[in-house]
Amino acid sequence: MQDTNWVPLFPEQASSFAWQVDYLYFYLIAISVFFTVGIVAAIFYFVIRYRETKKYATPQQIHGSIPLELFWSFVPFVISMTVFLGGAWVYWTQYTVPADTMEVYVVGKQWMWKIQHPSGQREINELHVPVGRKVKLTMTTEDVLHDFFIPAFRTKADVVPGRYTTMWFEATKPGKYRIFCAEYCGLNHSGMGGWVYVLEQKDYDNWLAGNVSDQTPVQAGEDLFTNKLGCASCHAGGPSQRGAKLEGIYNKEVKLANGQTVIADDDYIRNSILNPGGQVVEGYQPIMPTFKGQVSEEQLVSLVAYIKSLSGDAAANTGAAPKASPTAETQAKPAVEKAGEKEGK
Amino acid sequence: MDNVDAMKLDGSLEEPKVNYLTNGWSLKSWLLTKDHKRIAIMYLISVSAFFFIGGIYAATIRLELLTPASDLLESGTYNKVFTQHGIIMVFFFLIPSIPAILGNFLIPLMIGAKDLAFPRINLLSLYIYWIGGALTLFALLQGGVDTGWTFYAPYSTTFSNSYVLLVGIGIFINGFSSILTGLNFIVTTHTMRAPGMTWFRLPLFVWAHYATSLVMILGTPVVAITLLLVAIERFAGVGIFDPAIGGDPILFQHLFWFYSHPAVYIMILPGMGVISELISNFARKRIFGYEFIAFSSLAIAVFGFLVWGHHMFVSGQSVYAGLVFSFLTMVVAVPSAIKVFNWSATLYKGSISYDTPMLYAIGFMGLFLIGGLTGLFLGSIGLTVHLTETYFIVAHFHYVMVGGQVIAYLGGIHYWWPKITGKLYSEFWGKISAMLVFIGFNLTFFPQFILGYQGMPRRYAAYPEEFQVLNIFSTAGASVLAVGMTLPVLYLVHSLIWGEKASANPYMHPGLEWRTDSPPPTLNFDETPVVTWEAYEFGEESGMDLDAARRRDEVSPAA
Amino acid sequence: MAEHKHDDHYHPPGLQHQFEDMGQQMDSVTIGMWVFLAQEIMFFGGLFTAYLVFRSKFPMAFAAGSNELDALWGGINTLVLIVSSLTMALTVYYAQKGKKNMQVALIALTMLFGVAFLGIKAIEYSSKYEHGLIPVDGWNKRIKEGEHKESTAVRLPFETKASAAGTEEAHPNPSGDFQINKEKAQPLIDIAQKENFFTESEKIGYFDGGEFSWEKFTQKVQIFFWIYFVMTGLHALHMIIGLGIMAWLLYKAYRGTFSQDYYSPVEISGLYWHFVDIVWIFLFPLLYLLGRHFLAGGGH
Repeated sequence: MQDTNWVPLFPEQASSFAWQVDYLYFYLIAISVFFTVGIVAAIFYFVIRYRETKKYATPQQIHGSIPLELFWSFVPFVISMTVFLGGAWVYWTQYTVPADTMEVYVVGKQWMWKIQHPSGQREINELHVPVGRKVKLTMTTEDVLHDFFIPAFRTKADVVPGRYTTMWFEATKPGKYRIFCAEYCGLNHSGMGGWVYVLEQKDYDNWLAGNVSDQTPVQAGEDLFTNKLGCASCHAGGPSQRGAKLEGIYNKEVKLANGQTVIADDDYIRNSILNPGGQVVEGYQPIMPTFKGQVSEEQLVSLVAYIKSLSGDAAANTGAAPKASPTAETQAKPAVEKAGEKEGK
Repeated sequence: MDNVDAMKLDGSLEEPKVNYLTNGWSLKSWLLTKDHKRIAIMYLISVSAFFFIGGIYAATIRLELLTPASDLLESGTYNKVFTQHGIIMVFFFLIPSIPAILGNFLIPLMIGAKDLAFPRINLLSLYIYWIGGALTLFALLQGGVDTGWTFYAPYSTTFSNSYVLLVGIGIFINGFSSILTGLNFIVTTHTMRAPGMTWFRLPLFVWAHYATSLVMILGTPVVAITLLLVAIERFAGVGIFDPAIGGDPILFQHLFWFYSHPAVYIMILPGMGVISELISNFARKRIFGYEFIAFSSLAIAVFGFLVWGHHMFVSGQSVYAGLVFSFLTMVVAVPSAIKVFNWSATLYKGSISYDTPMLYAIGFMGLFLIGGLTGLFLGSIGLTVHLTETYFIVAHFHYVMVGGQVIAYLGGIHYWWPKITGKLYSEFWGKISAMLVFIGFNLTFFPQFILGYQGMPRRYAAYPEEFQVLNIFSTAGASVLAVGMTLPVLYLVHSLIWGEKASANPYMHPGLEWRTDSPPPTLNFDETPVVTWEAYEFGEESGMDLDAARRRDEVSPAA
Repeated sequence: MAEHKHDDHYHPPGLQHQFEDMGQQMDSVTIGMWVFLAQEIMFFGGLFTAYLVFRSKFPMAFAAGSNELDALWGGINTLVLIVSSLTMALTVYYAQKGKKNMQVALIALTMLFGVAFLGIKAIEYSSKYEHGLIPVDGWNKRIKEGEHKESTAVRLPFETKASAAGTEEAHPNPSGDFQINKEKAQPLIDIAQKENFFTESEKIGYFDGGEFSWEKFTQKVQIFFWIYFVMTGLHALHMIIGLGIMAWLLYKAYRGTFSQDYYSPVEISGLYWHFVDIVWIFLFPLLYLLGRHFLAGGGH
């Protein structure tokens, strides 16, 4: 946001951890100014003080000094370690998704951002969020790499085909902030951007009211689940059903037919829809057909939201305070593991 | 010391005799030469041509970014322009510039050898460079490539409709040129040193090239095979980077940066070598902490292989991997800091002259300081999440690559120009252009740090209006930089024809390269030199007759 | 070569102008070749990394791919290369002794083994072509439905019916696509399912609708064959370059160039030849043998 004609040196500080990033930045600027000024001053002093007075003079030769070398190896090392620790602290905050987030889904596509809210709104290249709420973005892409970047929030994350990446923020200041795609993605890369609108809660509620699409993701997911895809014929109901019970499983450990256990997180649910035979729950036969190719990324998002709502995960509802949410573990999984397939094309 | 007489110790002017330039005039005597000096000259011409092309692309980029809209170029064209700027500058200018031109020319002279260990392989590497370059240029003429110089999958393997295959093969071939150059340097340093030229009497320029060569040998093959895999994948339509069949786009990034991060050190280490020479020689003082500078080059080369993951902090790699790579990146900062401190300390109590090369060296120290310190910003993982893929990155690597390597390259070319050509250039114009380059460079790239922190992403053909003011500064600076870069071409070429003849040792510097004619004879020395003095020995111990040189200057002040 | 210090006016044969003496030349070319081989290791290292990443993701597909390879031909080729390394080592020995006839004979023998290796490789490749195992759709032999043409692939007299290249009934492959022999791969999948050793990536990578998906499994085997052809292809290219070097050595040896004083070309060519052999020593178990134990363990 640019209100004046003067050149702004910093983007607005509009997220809960923006100040941490800025403080680290100021710290590094202080270090840089200190060393640059110090060394440049020394160089200028030496260059002028010891300028050549007699052609081809042979000044006194100095070979070096071990204590001095150790001193100026040690000091930069200590300083760089403080920078490392500061960076690690900020990074931890940026990439550890806290509990009780409101979850928004983002699908990148050459060259637009498709965004879907828990309450059913779909937006393209626009994201409305309430101020003071922790928002988690779960992101994927239909084609090449993209990167969701909001400078005012001081965070970004790559969006990789075939897997979910996440990022989170808590907007602290109402306003309109830019979204950029920061990973080069082809022809119209520079056009792949948009706006985040941070609204006061009541404005956000108004926006929700005025803008509700026909269905929330949970409702859309329920519609898909019971009618369109017919999941309910196996999954809804008692223990005698052919399909595993889905109520209350979200974020719980699930015992698989092969004896292993997994956490039933977003990725697990997504994979179970696309590749049901992969991780069959203990006590069930691998009879579920795949829905790969039949459901779009957006429908998947709805289905996942619906299944989450069966566990009473309030994040999947219109936005009251949610409780559990995947922890940092989700992000810490090795990259290769989920890069397996490019789904949903 | 029976060979002292033969070694031009008073730097006197000699009667013309056959040197490497006059030893044969036919085209064949150039194209089939085994003389490292002639090969270096051919590299100089070809690398300069690529620098010119890359520079035209750079100017086009800056002109396009003068206005927020993509009005001069449409975004498809712009994408090709910045991609080709990167590819040409990185693979065909920066990587070969100092090693293949100055290293090739000077290493045998500096260590007292007749030639590199493998003159024919040296010629072969030039031809490989030409073939790789010709293929790439052909691809550019056909329609170019638009993947970014990083060739990220799956865009490069599947989605791009440009000449990725051809360019990939071109860079693959070109890679062997730098591998063979590195091989030649390593062997030459090991086996071809003159009697008495011990490892710790080697000029630091040679140490820096030794470290560079290690990176060339161990890194280049990995990017070569990676780009070959991309090329095969495009050719066959199937492969291991495309997620559509289970391939892994992140694997590409790992393989690519495993080379391309160390490649940064291929670009900067030789520049550091040049600066060590310039600072010590123009201060007429032994370099401070010789061993520390020498070993810090090796440390940079080794640690450089352990930090590739810092290019992938936001790629979705694990948080823990990010932390480890961030830590190692911080460790790499230390050897670079050691160098800067030692160079500064070398100036203390020196006898400093302000020749053009020294102006470049002082400029280098300032710019590299900023480039290196902003590297700390980017190694600090939490800050990088905000800064990566923005103009902050662009500014940072230009400070290192242009402010570091290109400035050092220009300084080196000026410093050894009398040795290479036997002619003196105009000091006046040299100083003017050095200052223009310094000012223009800072004007161009400093605003980009601010742009980056504001959040302007790189590789954008069009950008929001609030970024325009700083972009105008940047483009204005680029025009100053362009003038500063063009001037040397004019006065250096001018000096070839009208320049005064250079004596064997116009600066009275002690390096072995100054103890033979300017230009040197084909076999470098009339007799194999025997080294009895330490590195950077400026006094009488080095055997130089400084009084005779002062008398020489009275007769002919310019020489 | 301390005993060969010469004054400046004497130039031993083979001493190049840039060197002071034969010792320096010998050191230079030897170090040079070692440095070159370090470069080669990194070159193949990139490929081995790719192999490692995908094998750890899809071990069963790699096992299935491995079982499609002919370990007998591969084994024979391994033997051929090891023997060629012996003849190469002997060449160096006789070059040092300056025995011209032995050098010529042994270089010729080494070349013969090299050619034999490439010949066998060609037989293997042609069999892959016939079986639809070239990992690019459309690049395989087109076999119409019901066609039973006799294979052109070479068959060893002692090969059993099952392992012979051409005797199996050809699977129809009208558009020359990549395809695998499902009957051959089935036991592997059965074992893995029974014993539950699919990796996480495999659980996502092979299954479709609760059912094992041949289409998806085949894609993963395709990755194996992609890596197989790139690795063995680049290795074969190194062999061809090696043969070129050998041909040049043969000419030089025939002219009697090499002696006690000057044998470094033979020695460094030997280093190169041994290196190419060693790469094969790694390729053979990784590509041909690893994965066979799944079946060996389950079948007996």
